[in-house]
Amino acid sequence: MTPARRTAGLSRRHFALALPSALLASGCAAPHQGIGRPGDPIVLTLLSHYASGELKEALQGPVNEWNATHDLVKVRTKAVEFTDLLTTLMVRQAAGQGADIVHPYCLWNGQLVRAGVLRPAPPEHAEEITRGYGKAAVGSASVGGKVYGYPTEVQTYALYYNKRLLREAGVDGPPRTWRELEETAYRTTRRDQYGNTLVQGFGLSTYDDSTTVGQTLALLNAAGGTFVSTDGRTTAIDSPAGRAVFDLEHHLVAKGASAPGVNVYQAFPSGQVAMVVSAGWWTTSLKTLMGKAYRDVGVAPVPVPEAHGKRATLSTGFMLGVNAACRHPREAWEFLRWLNTDRVGVKGATATRMSALQVSVGSLTGRADDMRTLLGRGGDPNLRPFLDALAYAVPEPNVPGAQQAKSLLRKNIEALWTGQQSVDEALRTTRRQVDQEVSHSW
Amino acid sequence: MIRRRFPWFSYLLVATGAVLTVVPFLDMVMTSFKGPGEAGTLPYRFLPEAFDLANYRAAIHQLDLPVLFRNSVIATAVITGSVLLTSSLAGYALAKLRFPGRDFIFRLVLSTMMFPPFLFFIPHFLILVHWPLAGGNDLFGRGGAGLTVSIVALAMPFLVNGFGIFLMRQFMVAIPDEVLEAARIDGAGEFAVWWRIVVPQTKPVLVTLGLLTFVDAWNEYIWALLVSTADPDVMTLPVGIQLLQDYVDPTRTMPIVMAGLVLSILPVLILFLLLQKHYIRGVMLSGLK
Amino acid sequence: MVNATLAPETTERAAHDDPAVGIRGRDRHRRRQVAVAYLFLAPTLLFFAVFLVLPLGFALLLSMSRWSGFALGDIDPVGLDNFTGLFADGSTFLAPILTNTLLFALGTVALALAGSVLVATCIDKLRFQGLWRTLYFLPIVTTVVAVGNVWKYMYEPGGLVNGVLNALGLGSVAFLADPDTALPSVVVVQAWASVGSAILVLTAGLKSVPESYYEAAALDGAGPVTVFFRITLPLLRPSLLFVCVTQFLTGLQSFALISVMTKGGPGDATNVAALEMYRQAFSYGDWGTASAAAFVLFMVVLVVTLAQLWFFRRKGEDA
Repeated sequence: MTPARRTAGLSRRHFALALPSALLASGCAAPHQGIGRPGDPIVLTLLSHYASGELKEALQGPVNEWNATHDLVKVRTKAVEFTDLLTTLMVRQAAGQGADIVHPYCLWNGQLVRAGVLRPAPPEHAEEITRGYGKAAVGSASVGGKVYGYPTEVQTYALYYNKRLLREAGVDGPPRTWRELEETAYRTTRRDQYGNTLVQGFGLSTYDDSTTVGQTLALLNAAGGTFVSTDGRTTAIDSPAGRAVFDLEHHLVAKGASAPGVNVYQAFPSGQVAMVVSAGWWTTSLKTLMGKAYRDVGVAPVPVPEAHGKRATLSTGFMLGVNAACRHPREAWEFLRWLNTDRVGVKGATATRMSALQVSVGSLTGRADDMRTLLGRGGDPNLRPFLDALAYAVPEPNVPGAQQAKSLLRKNIEALWTGQQSVDEALRTTRRQVDQEVSHSW
Repeated sequence: MIRRRFPWFSYLLVATGAVLTVVPFLDMVMTSFKGPGEAGTLPYRFLPEAFDLANYRAAIHQLDLPVLFRNSVIATAVITGSVLLTSSLAGYALAKLRFPGRDFIFRLVLSTMMFPPFLFFIPHFLILVHWPLAGGNDLFGRGGAGLTVSIVALAMPFLVNGFGIFLMRQFMVAIPDEVLEAARIDGAGEFAVWWRIVVPQTKPVLVTLGLLTFVDAWNEYIWALLVSTADPDVMTLPVGIQLLQDYVDPTRTMPIVMAGLVLSILPVLILFLLLQKHYIRGVMLSGLK
Repeated sequence: MVNATLAPETTERAAHDDPAVGIRGRDRHRRRQVAVAYLFLAPTLLFFAVFLVLPLGFALLLSMSRWSGFALGDIDPVGLDNFTGLFADGSTFLAPILTNTLLFALGTVALALAGSVLVATCIDKLRFQGLWRTLYFLPIVTTVVAVGNVWKYMYEPGGLVNGVLNALGLGSVAFLADPDTALPSVVVVQAWASVGSAILVLTAGLKSVPESYYEAAALDGAGPVTVFFRITLPLLRPSLLFVCVTQFLTGLQSFALISVMTKGGPGDATNVAALEMYRQAFSYGDWGTASAAAFVLFMVVLVVTLAQLWFFRRKGEDA
């Protein structure tokens, strides 16, 4: 955008602002949500994807507590499924119906900030957030150096492995380097006499955007690479690290150690996958799905290319922010502070309400201290690697256009896995497509 | 025809095609009775183990069916009523009244049929959002939600239909002018002529047009999805059912979705079977749809 | 071609020629008619102004602007940037999205046309024609949500289609999950859903072929295949043109079925232009690109339609 154009845009915006204020002054303003008779409580709406089951109840608990103890400000929750969340955020915002408090996936923050949906956190809240949360969590909740909300659920990626399958193949422990990873994958792979895969050594699954891309980006970060350059305007995948990841995945598929068509979320719990890279939330569902067999599940940090290499992995997450169109931002931030920083007693320890909420549904927050307290005693040891990863994980890029970039990357990874593209082609096409998309989105 | 051999090949072909057409509907009905763990499992079985209504109860329970039905009925009724009224009025003016600009307006009406609906999708939404003095908006359409939070939004873009006007006009042209003139000489105004003579004479076309419009409006999905995203309170049946299946594990809820679908297509199906003569004539007239 | 048959006929000759009505009376009468006519047309004209002319202008403006979609004052004109962006190196709009759109339309038209010609010529010889037509018509009065979900379910590993394949001793096919089979799979459904109306139009066309043609052919000893290609098909040309044009129009712009069945996936395998437009606008908030995509698709629709009219007319002159 040229400076001249920006100025023109600004003056139009001022004009647009002036008219409604003039109308307001002359008393023509229409009544709208939340402004009732004097003395009526302010009602803040909160839109999240905590739409059903235990997630919905887990959020409703603290909200009910707030409503019971606060007379002047009430909070009302609204929810849609995660698959509909971005569209709902955008459409309701366009329709002037944006919720006062929103709970976006951090990947979208760049898009939402650029579109003017999110309001930067006031200085005292920004300070609180920077101080209280891990670096990756703060990074996810920030755009262009500004903090936009309280990080809530944080997911880091690690290597799940099936101890029994590794033992049966004569492997002692989880791989630490990529060479060990490949060897273990080939040794654990088993086929029947017709060539059907019985056990995949390393699961690569095309279930959805996050599954496909999460595995690859975790390995990319572990190799010291990043998806998007630091200025956020070009992709950095066409690099030695990116090539190494694509080569690794290509080998695994070509040699039959990975079968991308199989849904790992079903195959791993039924003992048909030896190793897979996935996020921490999965432990909870594995526990319910596998019952006793869960004791075979182990979790280790994502292997690095060379022994003694620097550890890194991917982290993704959500945050609670305040809508730029919210009429009561002070009250909204106050509610968020109450929910995310005030400490309450939880099973003999103290932690924030959000930390307690996330742990109760098997997730982590970016507050390492809370996590250590809450998971410390008798918790699932498999959660430990995810917790440790909070210290070294790389946040998923959240530049404008990040969601499109992720979809494009996914399509190219899938083309690589199904053999429609070579490693070279996949790297080149990803770079071309993502560069075009990301540059366009600024 | 001279040769009158029994057309066994034709019977075979047409019957095979008919089976292919009907089987998906039967599969839908059968699946709607299947219990948990029965649908989507291997090997595939066509018939359910028992004809149990549990899925129907579940669909009614989970769907908030009364609200969805109400929204669908209101939107469909408003659209159908408005299309019939405006088509008949405009068709009459274009067929039987003389006024400057008639040719131009008729061409305009014809040209509206050329524009594909997707072109209007985005601007229609924005126009409704910025509708002046509605839903908290000021005179310049700013500040509020406009008409998107009202059930009116479901019907708005479909209130007038170029094809409807064209259809009505073509049929009204055939009404003899002498009849209308006689009524005018008796002192009837144009409105009375339209209401007492033209409308009764064109009743069969109105039924056809009404039926076409009704079916389209009842089945409309994409626009209703957008409006319901802005305001879930105006959700229609097709949208509600589609969202129902996204909520939980798709294969597990498929039988409930099928039950909801059976319930939602029943009204249209019954109406179609009762009045299919009119509907089929409409499709032949338009060829379109 | 359309306009010639649809030009407004002259009416009201009676009022004009009636000597009993004086000149002043006629003038008053005419003035009143003008007023009444515009009164009758008022709702229609108002509607077209607000929901046709205004949106077209707005869409055109948006297609040449960048806008986040929220405050009207933020619309930022950028000339043709959105259009060049669609066709820039690395953009997925041309391939696979626009290619998919054309393949989807082409596949649907081919399947629906072949099926409807076959069935329509056969139905013509049968009894209970009404019953058959009703059956073929069921998909047309059914909402796309039902059609999409029923077929999606039938395509699943535990669904009807794979059940039949397995019963015949064939292996299962991952119809919608495999990028190679996904597009053909949705094409089949779209054709299945639209074949009924095509049959109807063609049946009407067949009824207008004079019986004497067939009798003459039979006397010449022509077989059914010869009759079909030499008599039926050429005489059906207007109906075929109609079916072709309308099905192509529908195929190029329909995305409801795809949005229900695959949401454009896997990858971009079934992504079509109208769906991409929807996503760019309502998920990514890129209203400019979305509007530009809509206009490009509109141009494609226009060109394809005109090409068909030209092609059929030229063939008509040859015959």
